[in-house]
Amino acid sequence: MTSRSSRAIAAWIDVLALVLWGILFLTYWATGKLYLLIHPNYMWLTVAAGAALIALGVWRAIALLQQARNRMAAGNASHLSLLPKGWSSSLLVLTAILGLLISPRPFASQTAIQRGVSEAPTLTRVKPQAFRASSNSADKSIIDWVRTLTVYPEPDAYTGQAAKVQGFVIHQADLPDNYLLISRFVLTCCAADAYPVSLPVQLTQSRAAYKPDTWMEVEGRMITANLNGKRQLAIAAKSLKPIAEPKNPYDY
Amino acid sequence: MEWYQLNSAFTLFLSLLVEAVPFLMLGVLFSGLLQFFVDERRLVQLMPRNPFWGALAGSCLGFLFPVCECGNVPVARRLLMQGVPSSVAIGFLLAAPTINPIVFWATWTAFRDQPELVFLRIGCSLTIATLIGWIFSIQRDLRPLLQPNVARAMPGRSRDRAGELEGAEGPALLQSGTYFLGQSAQPVDAAQLSAVAALNPTAGKPAMYKLTLMLESMVQELRELGGVLVLGSAIAAVIQVFAPRDVILALGQGPITSILAMMLLAAVVSICSTVDAFFALSFSSVFTTGSILSFLVYGPMIDLKGVGLMLSIFKPRAVFYLFALAGQLTFLFALLVNLYGT
Repeated sequence: MTSRSSRAIAAWIDVLALVLWGILFLTYWATGKLYLLIHPNYMWLTVAAGAALIALGVWRAIALLQQARNRMAAGNASHLSLLPKGWSSSLLVLTAILGLLISPRPFASQTAIQRGVSEAPTLTRVKPQAFRASSNSADKSIIDWVRTLTVYPEPDAYTGQAAKVQGFVIHQADLPDNYLLISRFVLTCCAADAYPVSLPVQLTQSRAAYKPDTWMEVEGRMITANLNGKRQLAIAAKSLKPIAEPKNPYDY
Repeated sequence: MEWYQLNSAFTLFLSLLVEAVPFLMLGVLFSGLLQFFVDERRLVQLMPRNPFWGALAGSCLGFLFPVCECGNVPVARRLLMQGVPSSVAIGFLLAAPTINPIVFWATWTAFRDQPELVFLRIGCSLTIATLIGWIFSIQRDLRPLLQPNVARAMPGRSRDRAGELEGAEGPALLQSGTYFLGQSAQPVDAAQLSAVAALNPTAGKPAMYKLTLMLESMVQELRELGGVLVLGSAIAAVIQVFAPRDVILALGQGPITSILAMMLLAAVVSICSTVDAFFALSFSSVFTTGSILSFLVYGPMIDLKGVGLMLSIFKPRAVFYLFALAGQLTFLFALLVNLYGT
């Protein structure tokens, strides 16, 4: 009798786990937090999985209720598992609750430094399919600039072009005090593979005025700066204005 | 541990799960379909008896079951439980995440400019998976290397041997039944019960009943593998945060060091094989071709997130053999490409 009731409880924990995970996925999608975790191209997978999980949970719940009414033996409640009995579902329930309570946060400057922001300009995801005319260079995002640079790295070629980019601030210790990096993370699939790209920004004052991780829109002109013995493309800032953190902080 | 690290570890953890769970569900669905809607005897008959051809056939099965490295585990495990030769199942386990239409397409999209890399990826994965499947077939009875509950669910050993029992109609099933009962000291597992129940008495039962059983076994597999995936992703996330990527990449860019760095990165980053080509592309300008290849070949076979899933089939010893063999072969091929390739 006790074994039957404990099996029934285990079966209901399964239902709880399924439904909670479904809710978790759909909540992330509905609140836009999914943007922080995964590339928009793959979001439908998560959404479909969320719906399927809820459907499976509901189906399981109905089956359990029917079984209880028919006094049938409880279903497959024993385990085929590495983890001790009951751990797996409890772990799933716990994780889903944590996921619902704790909001995922976009990565910040510390992570960017850790992931090697200094090498970023050598990275490129997809070779640009089209070049934009220099007249609208102000439309280029940080990643556009970095990709263009990968194809044609001579910084002098861009001198004087207008730049207007948005990103978050990184203070890099080995840059002079009047330089900061304006950065964004680029996502290829999910946050696990996010890598930072950035452009140096030349300020007219100390970077201390702009805290790390604050989001800024930088406007200015492109110059060639000599940083750490390397000639690099940089933005000579005319204005920096703080902006709200975008709902989707990544670039693709 | 600082706050931002905990924060990024949690975000990483969630992002791995958000991406992996759909594929795990797909794998569990295929596994359920295999269990309840595919006649295991016909399946086993279709498989080549010769271990080498079996391993090759298993490696190509990914075209039928396009799953990534989370979805392949339930399917491979189900194949083993259905009595498919071990060379086929291991070939499938290692190759399916790469040798399938989705991954082929994704790799092609990413590396359009270097088509040789696409074919090298497919070729090397196929070769390595076939070789390892073949090597494992030397172990005639794989059961000592498997987790006890998988081993118990496998049909009697005599079935693997040249099918002497093929002629005699049901005995194989009966045998496996007796086999369980003989082990009466062990608790008889529900999956076996449902497997036996499903294979034998449902033969004439309506599809609706089979569907119910299938959904039930899917829930069970999801629960079990989901828990393991959660643990694996947590470990992968923590290691990514504490062994930062620049440390790994700083291992070097020489012909040998670059391969080691990219293989280590592949194991740590744990991203899904359906999209890893795009990630690898971001390194293609700074890393050697061989090292990019090693990332594309090794990553789908082995990653931190998936270790737990692998352990749901194999004992740790066997998982280690798989890691070591796959790692050495990948390294060898990548080195050949670096030294003699273009």
